[in-house]
Amino acid sequence: MIELRDLSYVRMGTSNLEEAESFSTKCLGLQIGEQSGKALYLRSDDRAHTLCYFEGDPADQTVGFEVDDDTKLNAAAAALDQLGHPVHAGTPTECALRKVKTFIGFSDPTGNRIELVVRPERSGKRYFASRDAGITGFSHVGLHTTDPARDEKFWTTVCNARVSDRIGDIALMRVNAIHHTIALAPGRGPGIHHVNHQVESNDDVLRSYYHLSDQRVPIVFGPGRHPTSGARFLYFQGPDGMVFEYSVGVDEIEDEETHRPRQFGFEPSSLCMWGAKSIRPR
Amino acid sequence: MSVGNLASPVPIIQLCYVRLAVSQPQAAATFATEVLGLEHVPNKLEPFLYRSDARYHTLCLSAGAAKPSIGIEINNESDLDQAAKALARAGFSAREATSDECAQRFVRRALIVVDTTGNEIDLVLRPALSGRRYFPSRDAGVTGLQSVGLRSRAIEDDLKLWTILGAAVTDRAGEITYLGIDQKHHRVVLYPSDRAGLVYVSYGVESMDAVMQNNYFVQERQIKIVQGPGREPTSGQIFLRFAGPEGYVFSYSYGLKDIAPRHRPRQFTLEASSLCEWGSECTDVTELQPARAG
Repeated sequence: MIELRDLSYVRMGTSNLEEAESFSTKCLGLQIGEQSGKALYLRSDDRAHTLCYFEGDPADQTVGFEVDDDTKLNAAAAALDQLGHPVHAGTPTECALRKVKTFIGFSDPTGNRIELVVRPERSGKRYFASRDAGITGFSHVGLHTTDPARDEKFWTTVCNARVSDRIGDIALMRVNAIHHTIALAPGRGPGIHHVNHQVESNDDVLRSYYHLSDQRVPIVFGPGRHPTSGARFLYFQGPDGMVFEYSVGVDEIEDEETHRPRQFGFEPSSLCMWGAKSIRPR
Repeated sequence: MSVGNLASPVPIIQLCYVRLAVSQPQAAATFATEVLGLEHVPNKLEPFLYRSDARYHTLCLSAGAAKPSIGIEINNESDLDQAAKALARAGFSAREATSDECAQRFVRRALIVVDTTGNEIDLVLRPALSGRRYFPSRDAGVTGLQSVGLRSRAIEDDLKLWTILGAAVTDRAGEITYLGIDQKHHRVVLYPSDRAGLVYVSYGVESMDAVMQNNYFVQERQIKIVQGPGREPTSGQIFLRFAGPEGYVFSYSYGLKDIAPRHRPRQFTLEASSLCEWGSECTDVTELQPARAG
């Protein structure tokens, strides 16, 4: 079994790096860790980077997960290979671009690009936000799925993800105590559904609601509260249509042994207990 | 409820009710139960009477009243007599309510006082409680009548009335003056204005969830949100202010802070962030706009 320890980063192509930079700093509020002509590395916590925009196709999106060491990485590569998922071993140049020691890349059954990384870099300098959004760190991703049951099986049997709750057939899965690190979302093809950053307080969610509204950033869902994880949230749209989420107050699963996933109906109140309706196009 | 025994005299016990003068009580009544979610109180005297907590009523929609008024409970008979004298000395007009007027207010005795601006304030004795628990008409999470905003043409003069009654200034934002009468940050807020009246009537709700659920509830019914969801940096309360019938504004709020024992009134700058730290702004009610509250 592939043991995912934590999320590491998201890498996304963009047609307009300048716009991505402007959004990331003025709206999202991340810190620029490093910048070259072709890539922008953004920090959200004590890691050297958790989001990388690079010059390229916006559909080129990758999620990186950390695994323990090279032994585990090699075992993962063998397991994926056996299951028929072509595995790419990262070259030294590719590793440097990701600020990791080693990594492998593959696709999940829907076709989402996933990387497993060893020793992602941390930064000695503390995180200093570009605006006071209250961000405490990169926390989870939503991944599109073309077959929720098949993909849930992949993440929970090939990898070590556990289902925390389900909304209809959509699984919210954890890889550690945090309620979910991977949220599946129905989609027509592969891609990242949303990128989540945690913020300090309820106040930060609402402050950003007004701040981003003033900046004319499209708010696509919220402010609201998920009955599943208990988190207060705000979803908004960034460059190339990518949706970002701020949230606070995600439950931790304390009883790992005995926790049973709850089943929520596939209806709006399962996504927001306050009554917010998502306006994002499907 | 009162922690005011340290300072004397403090005859005020609580804000007990709001009487709203309405010309079309039926429409207002529908709003009271279907939107606000209050419980109608069937009785022989006032057809449009509503509960929000253990009290017999906290809201009365009155077709006969000329202007709105608020009810303030005074500790006892002698405190009321003392308050009456002090107010008369300070030049405030006050008259003893008739027995009919007392009955309509569900109190044993009332002194009807008018402040310098022209707001009517009933100083009442023994307002009625109900033995039956409060049963709301919808799940709005209302915990009780919490505070009122009053318009004031002369803050300093109106403040004199409240000081005589033992209310204390807890904070100011520009000239907006927050008045505490018990352990809570405020129960009455005076807003600079050019006329008399209520800026809003605020009902406490049990959680932030309740404020936000009500936010979407009123939005879905196309009820105008006057301000919010927002948060007052002075009192800490999360609020949602929305348009009620006949120009009245109602508010749901959660998280009104207790006043610390050695609290001194603070002066907040006159800017939007002193009225809402989240960034909500009010476009309809001039009293809630920083440009006006000078």
